[in-house]
Amino acid sequence: MARAATTSDAFNAIAEPQRREILIRLRSGERAVGDLALELGMTQPQASKHLRVLREVGLVRVRGEGKLRLYDLDASGLLPVREWLGGFERFWKESFDRLDEYVRELSRTRQEDETHE
Amino acid sequence: MSETADREIMISQVIDAPRELVFEAFTDVRHLSRWWGPDGFTTTTRAFEFRVGGEWDFMMHGPDGTHYPEWIVWREITPPERIVLLHGEFRDDPNAFDSAFTFTRVGDGTRIAMRTVFPTKELRDQAVERYRAIESGRQTLRSLADYVAEISNTYR
Repeated sequence: MARAATTSDAFNAIAEPQRREILIRLRSGERAVGDLALELGMTQPQASKHLRVLREVGLVRVRGEGKLRLYDLDASGLLPVREWLGGFERFWKESFDRLDEYVRELSRTRQEDETHE
Repeated sequence: MSETADREIMISQVIDAPRELVFEAFTDVRHLSRWWGPDGFTTTTRAFEFRVGGEWDFMMHGPDGTHYPEWIVWREITPPERIVLLHGEFRDDPNAFDSAFTFTRVGDGTRIAMRTVFPTKELRDQAVERYRAIESGRQTLRSLADYVAEISNTYR
């Protein structure tokens, strides 16, 4: 089934400020859609729509039926985001650590060479 | 938030050596091969020419034996202050992206600031997947609770 681009992955899902707000609210525990809507000053259909997006990308899970449905954080859905940050940044951080070590060694070697000349 | 904040990455680190020396470590493959890539990675160079428009064509080898093709073209070289390079996997890689390295003096040391701006979301995602793959198996998953706390602080 074709889906709008905004629901395709965790990156898109958390690009929307109100969806980030929902995730923050859910940190303290599961909530009903009506409570979330009230807290965030949106209509219930708006909150439901955001929650559906978050659910589709695995950031929230739901239990219960009908009006008793409770939404909870499923933080494992954030793993791709974390890995992305970790991957690229770590690549360079570790490269720079190695660079630091290497240039200090280079600096020492050259000072020794000068002393011996 | 700047216009590119959602598709750029800034990394900065102070290196304990004079600026000229740090810059020099970027200019020659005999230096670059000693530090490029995370811990445990090595490189095999096919071609290297340090000049604007010149290429560095090489293979990066991960600690688990996986090989990653790498290809770099220098866009700007201003000794000992700034280097801009185009970073991809092969010549004319449509998904290559620019990284700018700026070198500034900090006491007796040097601050390197690297800024990468991905031109589009698609190119960012491409890099995401690649670096995630490169770093996978090296990730130690911290507690998810910690991570959620971290990400929500970022957005507050």
